[in-house]
Amino acid sequence: MEDGKIPGALHLYVGQEAVAVGVMAHLSNADQITSTHRGHGHVIAKGGEFSPMFAELYGKATGYCKGKGGSMHISNMALGILGANGIVGGGPPIAMGAAFSNKFRKTKQVSVTFFGDGASNEGSFHEAANMAALYQLPCVFVCENNGFGEYTAQTNHQAVTDVADRAAGYGMPGVVVDGMDVMAVYEAAEAAVERARSGQGPTLLECKTYRYYDHVGVRGMGLTYRTDEEVEAWKARDAIESFEALLIKQGVSTKKKIENVYARVNEEILEGVAFAESSPFPTEEDLLQDVYFVGAAS
Amino acid sequence: MHAIGLVANPASGKDIRRLAGKASVFDNREKLAIVKRAVAGAIATGAERFVYMNDSHGIVSEAIKAIRVPRGVRFEALPSPKTSSAMDTTAAAEQMASRDCAVVLVLGGDGTNRAFVKGWRGATLVSLSTGTNNVFPVMAEATVAGMVLGLMATGGLKARSVARRVKIIDVSIDGEADDLALIDAVATSDTFIGARALLDPDRLKEALLCRAEPAAVGMTSLGGLIRPVADEDDFGLHLVFSKDGRCLKAPIGPGLFATLKVGSTRKVRFDHAIALKGPLVLAFDGERERMVGMGQNVRMTISRTGPWVVDLNQAMQLCAKKKLLLESN
Repeated sequence: MEDGKIPGALHLYVGQEAVAVGVMAHLSNADQITSTHRGHGHVIAKGGEFSPMFAELYGKATGYCKGKGGSMHISNMALGILGANGIVGGGPPIAMGAAFSNKFRKTKQVSVTFFGDGASNEGSFHEAANMAALYQLPCVFVCENNGFGEYTAQTNHQAVTDVADRAAGYGMPGVVVDGMDVMAVYEAAEAAVERARSGQGPTLLECKTYRYYDHVGVRGMGLTYRTDEEVEAWKARDAIESFEALLIKQGVSTKKKIENVYARVNEEILEGVAFAESSPFPTEEDLLQDVYFVGAAS
Repeated sequence: MHAIGLVANPASGKDIRRLAGKASVFDNREKLAIVKRAVAGAIATGAERFVYMNDSHGIVSEAIKAIRVPRGVRFEALPSPKTSSAMDTTAAAEQMASRDCAVVLVLGGDGTNRAFVKGWRGATLVSLSTGTNNVFPVMAEATVAGMVLGLMATGGLKARSVARRVKIIDVSIDGEADDLALIDAVATSDTFIGARALLDPDRLKEALLCRAEPAAVGMTSLGGLIRPVADEDDFGLHLVFSKDGRCLKAPIGPGLFATLKVGSTRKVRFDHAIALKGPLVLAFDGERERMVGMGQNVRMTISRTGPWVVDLNQAMQLCAKKKLLLESN
């Protein structure tokens, strides 16, 4: 982004991986998610591939949205990704609507909406939570509380410190979980998704997590809204490193096997970047394609 | 004039048991209100000095801002690592041990009190329940609890007259730091800590109980429904779960019942150690806490060397008897 290769802004998900992985482990392609402006991790964990994802970031015609969405708007219906959203708090009403459809059609699909602590102040979240609880919809509200709404600390933008406390106001359970512990998220999400799937209604799951990079980009804006010591303290609890240690301690994996996973994933990433860089941009003729509904109204 | 310690755990009453079971959410605004009432009670009975855990959610500090503090009353925030974990409570306890605290108010559940006792074992506690498993703390009006805090700080009530030393489980694990539990220590066949709660009865292996309370929920009730053990009893209870055991239907959490198979139940004397060998996960006071590796040895013993716990009713009865709040003519 900073080198001008990727148009628009990138909001990196690094640090918050345990949340996407722990939740998505309980979803199939048929289940829907809505994502946020910080949604790369959601796409990957929901089953997205690197090549079309990177192509979308680069704005190329081979991307998930044919280059018209970019980082903040990746969607793919086959994977149940109803879209990332550049509007803070834009996702919850969409997920609630999908959940309404799931219930109306009597499917067993569950919709999950990811949003941040900042979004939990938006009216869209409150309206969606109210309606989801009113109709007992199969919807899980996953608040990724990374402590900041962009550059504003949570203590400076809301009077409650646990977003989960707000759940009681809508008549749904609210749970706080360590968002840096993938197994803790996994267990809590399992209960929330099962609750939704079995017709018992929505849940607000608040995952306490942290983003390692700045609000935007890799190099950041150089602002002083948080200290290096704070960042390092959270990195000391890194979800991936902790999970690696657990797998080795329990004899599930070895250091060598984990290194092989890193090598394989790095290779896939580099292939994805190469694919994106070598792909064409959309043409001028493509500009209005896939934008407006074309067909007869019934 | 002694100091009063104040600890409010912002994380208590919010975990997965609200989802997997039917536990209540204890929001932090209510904890703040409890602190306000307790401090009002303490000041009304003469307290002048408070030291408090500067928790990551600012429960106590916000409560102080919201009350009118009389001249001469001081509050001191203890430096906190602000890890948003049990370590914050343990760190506060360690500091309170050297701050001349006559008594400490702890808001939380069994786990919060355990974290505190890890930092200051010999403390005198008034523990009010704002958690999920609440065998150790009690449900009581904070105003009255605050009055007792104040009377103890001023010397009107002595700890030895209104508090009792409780039992505790000491746990040693080969090559690792020791640990403790205030109510129960349970070995499970889990393979990770995760969301901590004990929700799968099929994974229970053994349990050592300080108290086996038939009128409570959680692990303590498993023993309590077979062979009750009160805190006054100078022994504990050891349960072994087995596929061939007798079926026991019990509330393993708030609103959550399970049928377990209990193989054996026996009293455990203070000088008797329960030995275990890994792999297993150890849960203390209802929460999975420690992973024990293959072949690692664990030893657990019960003794009456825990903290001192204030009996609020006994304290107020004594207050009335001594006419501590009655002005002389």
